Amino acid sequence: MQPVQTALLVLLLPLASAVVIALFLRKQGALASYVSTVAAGIIAALSLKLIFGGAHDINQSWEWLRFGNFAISLGIKFDDLAALMLFVVSFVGFLIHVFSLGYMHDDGARARFFGGLSIFMFSMLGIVLADNLFMIFIFWELVGFSSWLLINHYHEKQSAADASKKAFIVNRVGDFGFLLGIIMCYWSNGTVNLTQLGDHHVYSTMIPLLLFCGAMGKSAQMPLQVWLPDAMEGPTPVSALIHAATMVAAGIFMLCRINVLMVPDALTVIMWIGTATALYAALCAIVQSDIKKVLAYSTLSQLGYMVAAFGLGGDSGFHSTTQISSGLLANGQHTPLQVVTMTMAISGGAAAAMFHLTTHAFFKALMFLGSGSVIVGCHHEQDIFKMGGLNKKMPVTFVTFTVGVLAIIGMPGLAGFFSKDAILYLAMENNKGVFAVLAITAVLTAFYMIRMWKLTFFGEARSKDASHAHESGLSLTLPLVVLAILSVIGGYSGVFTKLAGYVAHMVPEAEGSAHVTILLVSLVVMFTGAGSAWFFYQSAATDTLEQKSRLVFNGLTQLKESFDNLYNYYVAKIQQRFAMLLNFIDHVLYQGAIQGLASFVGLFGYGARALYVGSIHAYVYWFLLGLVLLWGFAAGIF
Amino acid sequence: MITASLNSYLVVSALLFVFGFIGVLLRKNTLVIFMCLELMLLASTLALVAFSRFNATLDGNVFVFFILTIAAAEVAVGLAIIVALFRKRHTVQVEELNHLKN
Repeated sequence: MQPVQTALLVLLLPLASAVVIALFLRKQGALASYVSTVAAGIIAALSLKLIFGGAHDINQSWEWLRFGNFAISLGIKFDDLAALMLFVVSFVGFLIHVFSLGYMHDDGARARFFGGLSIFMFSMLGIVLADNLFMIFIFWELVGFSSWLLINHYHEKQSAADASKKAFIVNRVGDFGFLLGIIMCYWSNGTVNLTQLGDHHVYSTMIPLLLFCGAMGKSAQMPLQVWLPDAMEGPTPVSALIHAATMVAAGIFMLCRINVLMVPDALTVIMWIGTATALYAALCAIVQSDIKKVLAYSTLSQLGYMVAAFGLGGDSGFHSTTQISSGLLANGQHTPLQVVTMTMAISGGAAAAMFHLTTHAFFKALMFLGSGSVIVGCHHEQDIFKMGGLNKKMPVTFVTFTVGVLAIIGMPGLAGFFSKDAILYLAMENNKGVFAVLAITAVLTAFYMIRMWKLTFFGEARSKDASHAHESGLSLTLPLVVLAILSVIGGYSGVFTKLAGYVAHMVPEAEGSAHVTILLVSLVVMFTGAGSAWFFYQSAATDTLEQKSRLVFNGLTQLKESFDNLYNYYVAKIQQRFAMLLNFIDHVLYQGAIQGLASFVGLFGYGARALYVGSIHAYVYWFLLGLVLLWGFAAGIF
Repeated sequence: MITASLNSYLVVSALLFVFGFIGVLLRKNTLVIFMCLELMLLASTLALVAFSRFNATLDGNVFVFFILTIAAAEVAVGLAIIVALFRKRHTVQVEELNHLKN
């Protein structure tokens, strides 16, 4: 089989699975779950074959629609960047399918759930393999749809229905900018094909910023971050797959895809938005009591890291090269031969962002699935203050979860350490302000992670459900173990280079004294945050911070709610009133004019109806009158 | 042999037409109205024949043949309608045939 055929198969297999489930297997939950999982398994196997079985150089497109000179094509672009993302999506996706087999075993709407997972896999793989921005946009919207479908899985719950709507609408706000960006890109460059854009494009600040709006929605960056914490209403595997590992990372991936279009001004904006999101979300995470919400804010914070890394990286490239349109932002880390074979170069920042995306996908999926295992173990209890003492009762979950926690707080030797250090190093080299904020964020990350970890797994069981907790079955623990292994080894350059090829070479690495500085900083940061959380929080049924300092606690809670309040105010007070104004204008102007015309015609008809008196003699007189008029007209009297 | 001028023919024709028309306007019985219509048709036929005779052409006569054919068909249809109407309503008075209005 040709590589391009394999890639097509990878793309279309989940669609086939979704169609089969939607058409034939709606009532057969068990069968549907196996169909979907087997499809995911085949996708993972084929992806591994694509990634390790040859060069990453598929570049093929087929024309799809043509309107005069304007043509939309669908195509596959499979380079090192896509290979890395393909691994994350297909492999983590497969593990989460396996996890779902156990987690959703007793769910009444299992068929719909697995159909949703399949359609999600299809849409996500579409983004990964797409070769032009229009195609990315199509699958971008499909991803939004499947996200809506899966958040809404427990649709009898009002909060879940609201959360799914919120996610969809907030994403649409970002997508509007994205679409404008694509149209503007086509307008000024004449093409949206990623390869052709890499060869030649117009210098513009507006285009990358508009395209970034899309990433802002999908990757939940400020000020569109509000949907992600609410999206935790969905089943836990969905939170792991869509709202931690893959879909929210699509924004980062898309940014790396359009790396060549970036200009310094746009990158500065992107960098600060990412940095602000990272800090804001980390602050919010401290006061959460729902285990999934903590992880959700942590995801936001880490996504902020990636966006900040992207913004930082390109910046340095531009300072060293004056030739903007060449697209080669690297600072001499590659040989000329590699440059020729690369269809699109990416900057050090993009590489660092992708590196962190990959490791984050492993350990965050691990922690989400771990939390799913905990939730199942505790009979669907999600409040960490009602847990405690689970380390003995759920040993496998405890050990794997611990690996995840250590990876995210940057314990040396685990995946998160390498990727986080790459970003911190990049920040230190380029922007001290960003570096300071990211370092504080890292302290907070360690703080809230250890808080959650301690409250969940240590101390006494604080509720009946927690004291009767039990370890989950093999279908749940096996994916945890595999992800834990990946969270350990995923950061080593040997492993990462195999996955990412050229992208891995671009990841900035500190050397000499900078290396020591970064290592020291990250160790100090980690132990400060982790240590203070470990000694500060007691295993109690209430939040220690709330007892010790109500002011700080309320302040952080307020911070978390400020955006929701602001948007509520905007929608209820400003947008609603504007809508009422428009409604008023509609009533007066349009309904007045159009209904007025209609009633005028009606009146005319009413008058004409009076002629029909129902007597043949009257009609004969009318006939006579008509005849006379006609004769008069013919004779030229009038 | 009594010879009559074109004008006397036309006067007769016009009188017939006016009688017919007044009948259509004033009579209440559908059958009579129908007969008055026929009278108007024949009045025009008479005028056409008279023209044809005094102009020494056949145009008017040919016209009349067509009118006769059509009148025959029209009578067949019209009388049938009146018969059907009577069967259904038991009346052929026009002032009672106003059900479409109400």
